[in-house]
Amino acid sequence: MATGNYGTIRPADVSINDVEIFYSYTPNRELITDVQLTPLDPAEVLIPASNPNNTNEIFGGLYTLKLPTNVFGAKGFFNIIIRPRQIRTTIQDCSVLIDNQDVKGIVFNINQIPLDLQNRFENGNLVGYRVEYLKEETGTGQDKIQNLFRIITSNNRALPVTQNQGNSNASVAYTFNDNSTSVFCTVSPSSAPSIKPNAIPFIGNPQQEVIITNTFFDPVMLEIEMVEFDDETLAYALFSNQTKSLEDGIYTIYNFGNQIYRQYNLYEVKDQFTGKPLFEVREQKFTIDPTKDFDDITDF
Amino acid sequence: MKYIRKKINLENFTIRSIPKSVLIKNSEGKTVIDENNPKYYYGRIPEYKIDSEGNFKLNSFGQKIPNSIDVSLFITQKLDDMGIFTDNPYTAKTDTLSTKPQGFNSFTYGRLAGAPVEFYYKDNINITGYTDDSLLSQVKSYRKDVSGDDIYVPNLNTSDDTTNIFNGVISEDVEKTIYKIGANVNDINNTGIKYSTFKNKYTKKVDEFGKNTSYKTTIFETGNGGWNEFNTSLSATTKKEEYLGIVFKPEVDSAVFINRGIADIFERHALLSEIKTTNDIDTNRGGFIRI
Repeated sequence: MATGNYGTIRPADVSINDVEIFYSYTPNRELITDVQLTPLDPAEVLIPASNPNNTNEIFGGLYTLKLPTNVFGAKGFFNIIIRPRQIRTTIQDCSVLIDNQDVKGIVFNINQIPLDLQNRFENGNLVGYRVEYLKEETGTGQDKIQNLFRIITSNNRALPVTQNQGNSNASVAYTFNDNSTSVFCTVSPSSAPSIKPNAIPFIGNPQQEVIITNTFFDPVMLEIEMVEFDDETLAYALFSNQTKSLEDGIYTIYNFGNQIYRQYNLYEVKDQFTGKPLFEVREQKFTIDPTKDFDDITDF
Repeated sequence: MKYIRKKINLENFTIRSIPKSVLIKNSEGKTVIDENNPKYYYGRIPEYKIDSEGNFKLNSFGQKIPNSIDVSLFITQKLDDMGIFTDNPYTAKTDTLSTKPQGFNSFTYGRLAGAPVEFYYKDNINITGYTDDSLLSQVKSYRKDVSGDDIYVPNLNTSDDTTNIFNGVISEDVEKTIYKIGANVNDINNTGIKYSTFKNKYTKKVDEFGKNTSYKTTIFETGNGGWNEFNTSLSATTKKEEYLGIVFKPEVDSAVFINRGIADIFERHALLSEIKTTNDIDTNRGGFIRI
């Protein structure tokens, strides 16, 4: 058993099913409207790398984000947020264990969880998940209770049992039972900080909505600036092949694969009365002249 | 949260090839591009991957391959300790409040000096779900019917403490048996856990050992959930500074044997001499000493 400080950073091997991805787009940095986030399906855009020695084994850490060009093919700024998937549900009950009255916990109904996520609520699977709380009262502006979270330290299917307290009083506690559809979770910290020593250990209230999030990886934000030029394209202008058609004045710059990169019309502006040359103009041509193919021109 | 900035040049994804098939002669006899030709993508980034002739590339299933801008990233998980929480004695404020502030909420208020524990109670709520039929046997009669099957007699209290607690059948019909466990004898309807076990409905399950099991489908129901005087108390807990970064309290394990090196000809005998119980065999398993 470890008794000293320890911590580590490990390559994440999170399943795509435990990931959420959102993006926002602004054409420039001066935009003043609110950021609009749009979800992306991780199954379509995030591909984990496989171990070269065993293709059925995830390599760990290395993922490829395949951004669809129909969305990301525009010039501007894309913010992409990759974060652990959130599960929203309602606390079914808050109570204690029948045999351990000082162990408080929150209870979830596994049947309220979407089918594809129910296996996360099997015994022990929620350990390390983070619980965040939504406000019980409405109309307070922000629905989420900010800066409040708890970490689940254990979860087990549990059955409510009654505790007879005498004088017609009764309360419910929980006992572990693997066939129950209720899941009893202990959370931490369930205690107050030392500067508020007698604050109650709030862990939630029955019927309160919560957001349960895995902690399988640290969220990542990518700011991707889509640009039209870089060193390579500037090098086309300097070092790549070029042609100037003397017949029609079309000046063509090719990329390093000899494909037409840009075309310009070269012409002079002269004084209409005296014929005196005033300007030499290079104007970009947007309708490409295909007869200026470099291989065709130099094939003689 | 990791923050990564990248600059990607769209030119790398822009089509610059002009297939011969999109070239036509105009009215002046000059070769121009037919910009309406579906294979003409010059200067654009197509939605699906295409070859230099403007044809869609297909995967092994004959489907078009979505065009994408690929970004490699390395995702990590950082693990840190949270420390050990420790109970602390405290003296409560003596002038306790008598009325709960309007809209009092324990988590938005946090600590409210002088607030009694009742302020944190929550009303009873209904809880329901599915479970197995293991508790049905607790409410059966000692008698059997002519077929040797169990008999469930309504209102027969089968608890050990019949003065205070009611465990027994509420009603029974051809479909299901409804019974209560742990109800107060003076208020059976509003206390205890109500179970409804269906007679001909079964739930199948694979247990943790991979074995198929089944039991009669049972619904549990109670209206006694929530925070109340029986499960809520005010307490003071804090983190001990010396334990910050430590997740477990230090434990002393005495099963330590100091290896004196391979030169010691009595090493193996000395190791064996340490083993006195079956637990010690576990400790020394594989020739290694657990520390």
